[in-house]
Amino acid sequence: MSIAVETLSYRYGPGAGGIDGISLTIGPGEFCAVIGPSGCGKSTLLKLIAGFLEPASGTIHLAGEPMAGRPPRARDLGVVFQNYALFPHMSAIDNVAYPLKLRGTAKAERRRLAGEALERAGLGGFGARLPAALSGGQQQRVALARALVFKPRALLLDEPLSALDAAHRAAMRDEIRAVQRANNIATLHVTHDQEEALSIADKVAVLRDGRLLQVATPAELYDRPADRFVAGFVGAANLFDGIVRGDRVETAIGLLACDTRNHADGARVTACFRPEAFKREALGPNQFAGEVARDRFLGSMRRLDFAVPGGTLLAETAWRGEVAVLSLPPEAIRLIPSA
Amino acid sequence: MRWIMALYLTYLAAPIVLLLVGSFGESWTNSLLPSGITDRWYLEIWADGTFRRAFSTSLIVCAATCVASVLIAVPFAYAIHRAASRKVRAAVRLLYLLPVAAPPLVLGFGFILVFSSEDLPFLGASWLLIAGHVVLALPYLMQVLVADIRHLDLDTLEAAAESLGAGFAARFFHIVLPSLRHSLVAGVIMVAAFSIGEFQLTNLIAGFLTRTYPVVLLQAFYGATGFACAGTMVLLVLAVLGATGSAVAGRVAAA
Repeated sequence: MSIAVETLSYRYGPGAGGIDGISLTIGPGEFCAVIGPSGCGKSTLLKLIAGFLEPASGTIHLAGEPMAGRPPRARDLGVVFQNYALFPHMSAIDNVAYPLKLRGTAKAERRRLAGEALERAGLGGFGARLPAALSGGQQQRVALARALVFKPRALLLDEPLSALDAAHRAAMRDEIRAVQRANNIATLHVTHDQEEALSIADKVAVLRDGRLLQVATPAELYDRPADRFVAGFVGAANLFDGIVRGDRVETAIGLLACDTRNHADGARVTACFRPEAFKREALGPNQFAGEVARDRFLGSMRRLDFAVPGGTLLAETAWRGEVAVLSLPPEAIRLIPSA
Repeated sequence: MRWIMALYLTYLAAPIVLLLVGSFGESWTNSLLPSGITDRWYLEIWADGTFRRAFSTSLIVCAATCVASVLIAVPFAYAIHRAASRKVRAAVRLLYLLPVAAPPLVLGFGFILVFSSEDLPFLGASWLLIAGHVVLALPYLMQVLVADIRHLDLDTLEAAAESLGAGFAARFFHIVLPSLRHSLVAGVIMVAAFSIGEFQLTNLIAGFLTRTYPVVLLQAFYGATGFACAGTMVLLVLAVLGATGSAVAGRVAAA
C-alpha cells in the first residue's frame, strides 16, 4: 500500500495556480507531510491524488495500480477533510458505518465494525450522537475512524488539525500518528503548519509555487535545507547573503568562519544558522558584540533580536541574565548556494 | 415590547374572532355583534354540494401541487447549485423568481389565451389548474432550498461521500435529500398554504367543476353574513389541514 506520484502537473487556468512536475513516493506505512505557504499547490496535490481533479500530465499509482480516469469513489482512499465533513444527519456510528454500507457489508456486521472503530477512538459511548453534539476533537476522531474503517489503500489528511484550538492540536497530532502506525498505512498529510509537519511526519515535502523544493526527513530538512526558501520556511533561521573568501564568508555582519570546502572562492552564498546555535560565552572565531533589541520570554527559553553592527541576529537562549556577546560555532553555519 | 406584541396579536386575531362569532350568529346587520346563536350556517354549507366539491377539489389540487413542486424543485435547486458558473446560477435564480414579480392576473390571461385555442383546448382541466399553482408556488420552495443548499456546504459533504465510495445516486439519496429535509418541509408548508388560498389565477382558469374553495367562497359573500362567516371559517380549517398534512407528509417522506 503506497502512494506514488510521477511528474504530476495541473493548472487551474492560464497564469493561475496549480502544480508543476511533482514526483513523490510514500511507502507502505510511511507518513509524509506536505507543507508550503497558501497557494503553493499542496491542496491541489491532495485533490489530484484523491481524484477530485484530473491531472494535465503525469501519473498516480496507489498500491501499484494506476489511477488515471478513476473517479474518487473507485480509489479506495481514506480522506479526512479540514472541517471533518461528517454527515450532519447521521449519528457518529452511522457516519463510520457509511463506507461499509456502500461496500455492501451486512447491517449487523457494519454496526459491529463501526462500533469497534469508535471504541478504539475512545468514543465508545458516543455512537448515537449526532456530529453537532460532539466536540471538535471528537468529530475529528469520528472522521478518522470513518476514513480508516474500510481499510483504504492510503490515507489523505487535508489540514485536519486547523479547526482545533491550540491545546487540542498537539494531543491530536500524537493520536493521528498512533492511529496511522496501528493501521500501517501510507499517509499524505497536507498542512500549512511547519511545526506540525516536523513533529508528526517521517518525511516532509516542501512546496512553493507548485514546485517541489525538497523532500527529506524532518531533521534533514531543518539541518540541511536545500535552498534559502526552505531554510526560512522550516523553523526560524538567520539568513545572510555573502561571498566566499577562503575559509570564511564575507557578510554584512562581518567575516564568518565556517566550512567552505564545497564552495568556490568568490561564490555567492547564503549563510544560514539557527537561533538556538548561539553560545552565550565568547568562544571561537565567530563572536558578536551587540545589544538586545527585543526580548521575548517563551518559558523554556528567550528569543532575542540581538543588534550587531551590520544587522540583527535572531537568537534563542535559556539564560535569564544579561547578554552582551554571542558566539557561533563554525559548524553551525550552513552555506546555501545563491540561485 | 410586551404591549406592542399584545396589540399586534389582537390585531391579528380580531378578524378571526369576529368571523368565528359571526359564523354562529343568527342575524348580523348594522350592529357591533350578531344576535342569537345558531349552527344553521355550517349545516347549510355542509348541505351545499358546490361547497363540498370545492372543499375536496382544494385538498386534491393542494396535494398534487405539493408533490409536483417537490419533484421539480429538488432536482432544479440541486442543478442550480451544481451549475458551473456564478453567472449561470444568478441568471437562473432570477428566472425562477420571476413568477413572484408577475401578477397572477398576467399569468391567468396568458393561460386563457393559450389554452382556449382550438389546438390546445385544455382550459378548465384540473391538471392545468395544478400546473398554474405549481408555476406560482415553485419560487417559494426554490428560494428555501437554494438558500439551504448554499448554507449547508453540500460540496464538502458530497466530496466526503464520494471519497468513501458513494456514486451519484447514493450521494443524492443518502446525503443531499436528508440534508435538505428541514427546508423541504418548511417549503412544502408554504406551497400548501399558497395553493389553498390562491384565488386570482384559479378564478380565471378553473373549470366549473374544478373550482377550488376560495373561488366558490366568493359567492357566499353575496348572501347572508353568517353564511359568509361560516364559509370563511371553513377555509381557515382547510388551510390548517393543508399545512399540517403537507408537514406530516414531508416529514414522513424525508425519514
